[in-house]
Amino acid sequence: MATIANTMDLENIKKNHFVVIHPLDDLPEEKVDTEALGPMPMTRTVKISLLSLRAYLILMVLMVFYHVVDLAGAFAKHMH
Amino acid sequence: MTSKVAIAPAPGLDVVVTPVRGRVVKSAWARDLLTFLMVVGPGLIVMVADNDAGAVSTYSQAGAQYGAHLLWIVLLLLPVTYFIQEMVVRLGIATGQGHAAMIYQRFGKWWGLFSLVDLELVNFLTLVTEFAAIDLALNKLGVDPRIGVPLSAVGLMIIVLTASYRRWERIVVFLCSLDLAWFAIALWLRPPAHDLLRGSLPGIPEGGITAPLMFLVIAIVGTTVAPWQLFFQQSCIADKRLRFADVKWARLDTLLGACITISVAACMMIAGNASRLHGFTFSDPAQMAVDIGTFGGGAMRSLILLMMINAAVLGTTAISLSSAWAYGEVRGWPHSLQLPVRKAPGFYIVYALSVAAAAGIVLIPRAPLQLIILGVQVLAGVMLPSAIIFLQLLLNDKELLGEYANRPWNNFVNWTIIVVLFALSLILAAQVALPNFFPSA
Repeated sequence: MATIANTMDLENIKKNHFVVIHPLDDLPEEKVDTEALGPMPMTRTVKISLLSLRAYLILMVLMVFYHVVDLAGAFAKHMH
Repeated sequence: MTSKVAIAPAPGLDVVVTPVRGRVVKSAWARDLLTFLMVVGPGLIVMVADNDAGAVSTYSQAGAQYGAHLLWIVLLLLPVTYFIQEMVVRLGIATGQGHAAMIYQRFGKWWGLFSLVDLELVNFLTLVTEFAAIDLALNKLGVDPRIGVPLSAVGLMIIVLTASYRRWERIVVFLCSLDLAWFAIALWLRPPAHDLLRGSLPGIPEGGITAPLMFLVIAIVGTTVAPWQLFFQQSCIADKRLRFADVKWARLDTLLGACITISVAACMMIAGNASRLHGFTFSDPAQMAVDIGTFGGGAMRSLILLMMINAAVLGTTAISLSSAWAYGEVRGWPHSLQLPVRKAPGFYIVYALSVAAAAGIVLIPRAPLQLIILGVQVLAGVMLPSAIIFLQLLLNDKELLGEYANRPWNNFVNWTIIVVLFALSLILAAQVALPNFFPSA
């Protein structure tokens, strides 16, 4: 049970009454210590898959860029 | 319910340093309602802000080109967007940290930086589209954008500079509530009920699968489920310090937001369709508002233009914050709306720079804004699958999440979503590499 600054106020709360606390007014909760966990263990397959994903993403971004520039008519101008 | 302030301990904690403030209520339903009202915010904001300026443009174009035929795609995106953001809720509450911090810590520096660069790039381009919409709408309202755009940027900076998360959230939730005006617009336009019913059922519009249709579908997906949303909601939850006990209310918050955003998206589609039924074709939503004004009156025209500005303002504050939070998390800077500027200068500088630079670009004459808007939606659609894969890996990290990790059915749903998203991006690739892959019309 928590230590509280003014127990009188808590005692004044009748039975069957509820206390609702805004998250920002509440005390910080204990969360997972992510820094202590360190990097996620990954197999070689997962690492290669993520690298492939990155390459795919870069390629797709370039293609979208090309498509948008094409729609803007940049290449048509050069053709003429 | 009383407004009495009570001193009570935080549940589940053994050691308390300072007392907490709470409100006393007399019934269980009042407790639940008040708890929900205290938790609501991140889910609602991320979803409603997702209907930003680009979304107004994309949905109204979908309505203008295909009537209500693509309504079923938007409806299908309701569970998709909810499932994705619900994972973010669990991750944010369990770790108390933002998404960028999680990628950085669990996948290492390299992946963390790469994800950050992706996010900042798409976010910045999206911000340009938000100010482009403000520029277009102000023009049609008869306000000089050279004055209106900088003023909007200043207003957007002021709302985060109050060093109070709650103040920012109240302002933004109020702006979200204004979005409900889209329902009034749609009702007034009286869409044909049978069209809506037919459009709600899966089907291909007349003309079959064409290149413009596929481009529009990818843009719809890209605007409804965007990468910045993952980063924004998780950081927002961390900043609001939501607790484990809040998980169910945060899920409800997200579901409520998803329902509103999809309904509003349908209303935007109805507006585009109404313009088409009256024989208009438009290149941007501001022009659509003017077209609708010819048969709906000046008030309707102004209302649509104001809604367009509201959508852009909501999008700008949420996207800029997602950039600022992510940058702060990766650099290890203080990053909270609860902190004053002097205690988190880097966080506020990133926010201010994002807003100011995007506003500045828009004021450059003759920038191809409509093309940028469409391109950004497609880019977001292309980048989304990889962002969700990181999310999926994190949600299966039992060391990190314990009981909050994904269950088998979560994984089935999410992998299905990822496969569909990848298929759409491959279609886009095929369309770009082989222009005749789909007929052009």
